[in-house]
Amino acid sequence: MKLAVYRKKSPWILHYNAGGCNGCDIEILACLGPKYDIERFGMINSGNPKQSDILLVTGPVTKRSRERLVEVYAQMPEPKVVVSCGACACTGGVFRGMYNCEGGIDQYIPVDVYVCGCGSRPEQIIDGVIKALDILERKTLELEVSVRLKKVPVEENGQVNRREVAAKIIHTQHTYE
Amino acid sequence: MIPVILSLFIFPVITGLILLILPWKTTKFIVIISALSLSAISVYLFINIDQPYYFAVPQYLNKVVAGFDILLLIYFGWIALRLKNWKIGILSALQLALLFYLLRVLPSSHSMQFMVDKLAVFMYLIINIISGIIAFYATRYMEEEDCSLSRKKYFLSVMFFFIAAMNMVVSADDLEYFYLFFELTTLASFLFIGFRKDPESVRNALTALWMNQAGGLVILAAIFFIAYNGYGAATFSNLMANGSASGVLIPLALLGMGALVKGAQIPFSNWLLGAMVAPTPVSALLHSSTMVKIAPFMILRLSPVLKDTPVAMVLVALSGFVFLASAIGALAQDNFKKILAHSTIALLALMIMMAAIGTPATILASLILILFHAISKSMLFLNAGILEKVFHIKQTSDMDRLGETGPFTSLAITIGFMSLLIPPFGAFIGKWLSIETLGSFAGNKNIFAVFVIIAVACGGAVLAFLYFKVLGIMISRSGEHDRIPFENTGTVFSVSIYILLVMLFTSMLALPVMLTGIFVPVVSGLSGVPLMAAYSGFTLQVGDLAIPLLPMMAAIVLFPVTVIVAMFLRFKKVDRAKEYACGEKINYSFSSFYFSTERVTPWFSIIGVLCLIALLVAACI
Amino acid sequence: MKGFIIPVLLIILAPFIGGLVHGLERIVRARMQRRIGPPLLQPFYDFLKLAGKRKMIVHSAHAFLGIMHFVSLWFALALLLLGGDLILVIFLHLLSTSLLILAGYSTRSIFSHLGANRTAISILAYEPVLIILAVSFYLVTGSFETAAVFNYDKPLLLEMPLAFVALLLILPVKLKKSPFDVAEAHQEITGGTEIEFSGIFYEAVYTAKWLDYVFCYTLVYLFAGNNILLGAALILFTFIYVNALDNSSARVNYKQMLRFSLAVAFSLAFLNLILNIVI
Repeated sequence: MKLAVYRKKSPWILHYNAGGCNGCDIEILACLGPKYDIERFGMINSGNPKQSDILLVTGPVTKRSRERLVEVYAQMPEPKVVVSCGACACTGGVFRGMYNCEGGIDQYIPVDVYVCGCGSRPEQIIDGVIKALDILERKTLELEVSVRLKKVPVEENGQVNRREVAAKIIHTQHTYE
Repeated sequence: MIPVILSLFIFPVITGLILLILPWKTTKFIVIISALSLSAISVYLFINIDQPYYFAVPQYLNKVVAGFDILLLIYFGWIALRLKNWKIGILSALQLALLFYLLRVLPSSHSMQFMVDKLAVFMYLIINIISGIIAFYATRYMEEEDCSLSRKKYFLSVMFFFIAAMNMVVSADDLEYFYLFFELTTLASFLFIGFRKDPESVRNALTALWMNQAGGLVILAAIFFIAYNGYGAATFSNLMANGSASGVLIPLALLGMGALVKGAQIPFSNWLLGAMVAPTPVSALLHSSTMVKIAPFMILRLSPVLKDTPVAMVLVALSGFVFLASAIGALAQDNFKKILAHSTIALLALMIMMAAIGTPATILASLILILFHAISKSMLFLNAGILEKVFHIKQTSDMDRLGETGPFTSLAITIGFMSLLIPPFGAFIGKWLSIETLGSFAGNKNIFAVFVIIAVACGGAVLAFLYFKVLGIMISRSGEHDRIPFENTGTVFSVSIYILLVMLFTSMLALPVMLTGIFVPVVSGLSGVPLMAAYSGFTLQVGDLAIPLLPMMAAIVLFPVTVIVAMFLRFKKVDRAKEYACGEKINYSFSSFYFSTERVTPWFSIIGVLCLIALLVAACI
Repeated sequence: MKGFIIPVLLIILAPFIGGLVHGLERIVRARMQRRIGPPLLQPFYDFLKLAGKRKMIVHSAHAFLGIMHFVSLWFALALLLLGGDLILVIFLHLLSTSLLILAGYSTRSIFSHLGANRTAISILAYEPVLIILAVSFYLVTGSFETAAVFNYDKPLLLEMPLAFVALLLILPVKLKKSPFDVAEAHQEITGGTEIEFSGIFYEAVYTAKWLDYVFCYTLVYLFAGNNILLGAALILFTFIYVNALDNSSARVNYKQMLRFSLAVAFSLAFLNLILNIVI
């Protein structure tokens, strides 16, 4: 039995606001309501990275929130997809170039689907998530790495943190370059 | 047989004297030798004594006993004078007066002063084996104690004198002898609580002394009433023989009150809580596993005449109330030993309740509780001592990260608490039997039983909650420290914990055998009616109750094995992730929850006093 | 023999039945909110998806305690359905809950600790009521074994109606439904004790919740005696009641929960016990 089929049927969503204006978040919550009802696809807004498959990020990644973003991303077990939701999350939007923000979440974590709009409409979000599901089905169980993590991992008692394993892979790649 | 029994009385005294004389280096050796031989003697006696065995000691010993009584009371009076404590003064003066009167009035020819029946040898088993382990543990504990060498020796030798006193108190038939040994345990308790000599210790020692003096006074009063009612010599067996005589309820109620004092039931619970300032081996030995067991022991002794009387009803009501109230009182505590003390009072209440009801099934429940509580609670207390000496922790709120620094200690405490709570451990069986028998009383249109059931059900739930309060803070550890070696607490400490753990698990596994081999003979010996115990398939039929063994065996796999395996198991090829904290990377410090119960606790002692009055009223009517 | 096959089948199929109940519950809840809701087999899709995730744990003891929570709950359920001693069943259920609580405490995660604390408090809320219910069953049927209840030829509901009401009042606590879902509180502590489980290890805790449905609905069924139709009706009623309550009420805090269940549910059970004795 191919278990990958069932990934499409029960995607659990983790919603993370990386410093946005709450516009997109309201739209995401609207998706859960009676009108759009994304639960008919089996989706749950789980609020817990350890049990989620789709990371739905809004906001332009402020400096305060990027560490948390990477940590939350690292705590999601593979296979996982990231949907960046709204103009800010995709490119930085109106906040691009400001001293306290970076331009979009893809500077930190790999993004699979970009959903545009300010704020993006529920139809767009649902469409983006459905697109993400196709990507999710094709993904493997390989450890995915967050982009800007060049810290040297610290081994303690023979065990390393997942996030630092990811950093190790990145680190070796960078030393090649 | 008499020399063997007498050796249990004399041998610890000799050991205590030798310990005083010989240098400290040899103590460990002597303690091991005497603990082993005392345990061997008690096992031998348990196997060989089936029928109640009466024996007399020479007549001049009666005079010696009376002399000791007077000396002891004078000593207490002297303490009262020296420390200006009027309660102790009045109580010992009253006792002295009553004693002189009784010595003049009572018939001087006692026939048999000692009676060793199945219950007594059962108590021997617990006293000698558990005390042996604790004395062994104390050799190391006292090394760490901050006091002079002679005081350390003194501590250990008093411990052995106490063992002798305990052995005698459970085999005394004559109430005068019983009174002396009862007072001797009081003395031991007083000396031990005041051992550290700081103001708090002295204060608590005095509290313990006056409360236990009250216990002694009511026992003397019971003797007075036995003489007054004209039952002849003041012995337990004589009291039993006059079980249906008029006025017998008054001495019974008084003896029951003495038991309540020793068992630290609620109006008197303060002394046991204060006793926790003593060194931990004392708490383990006197204040949880042996001395306080005099309370259920006395009630068990009296149960054939006590059952179905109004006095028994009041005792049941009081202990049901105490079971609930002390569990609630414990929720506000932070000191680990005080939490243990509260749970001891609660479980003692359950034992007293079961003994006071007095049917074979409840006596069985009481005995099972006595044995398993002794093992579990002494192990918990020894762990409290290890926490104090090795990890320097006294409060539960300081136990954070104990799962990382002391994985073995935390495992032992987990098992200890769980053994008091859930199947398949003996303490659970005791609780289960009690609920079922109370249920069958309720079936006989007994509304009174309903209230007791409710107290047991609620108290059990509160106790469960209490255990999680301690466990919750203790067992947490972080993911990166997955592979933790067991800590080294020293040979003596770890060996004594290992022995108790092994005892806990073997007694749990061997419970079906022990039921028929140990408990049922004791119950039959006590109630006079032989209790039938037989296997039918996978159920053990004990009296009217059927104990299903198959689920029990499965429960053995489920809990104890789970907790131990969880300690050692390591999943391979599995990623480790940090705990979820909204993406934050802060090291949190944890503390356990706290309930303020000060608003209700004053009412508890008022209700306790009312129950005591009710006890006397019930006796007089 | 025939009386033996049905319980055994029920025990083996318990996770499937529980999963279906959960699926149905999600649909019913969605329809109550005028949504369409997920397919009926959604819990099983979740199950299969979780099996395919990369394995990840906090530490081994935590994961193992979660698995044993499931195993011991299944065992308690088996004993209940096979007609075991009701008090023993309740204590075995306590055992499985305590394994979950220990798992919750064994990590250094704040939400997990909060959840474990609150689960311990909810034990305080429902445990005494359950024990009193067991005693009431004993008073009516004359035996602590559930086998006697299953064979009792009168509906127990009529003999102990107040006890049934008390059970209805504590069921939301046990099933972790609003208004008494403080132990789980998804919006507040994101699942409490179950938060640190993931992938195949979360499955154990997730499936244990399905088993809890079967356990609770069997407790409800006990009130029907040997009348299967009445039992089905009671289960249906309870199912709708629990979901309607879940949808229509807000979460109370743990103090209010404790106060309510001890003051109302407990007194009802107590009153029922008294009435059973007097009448």
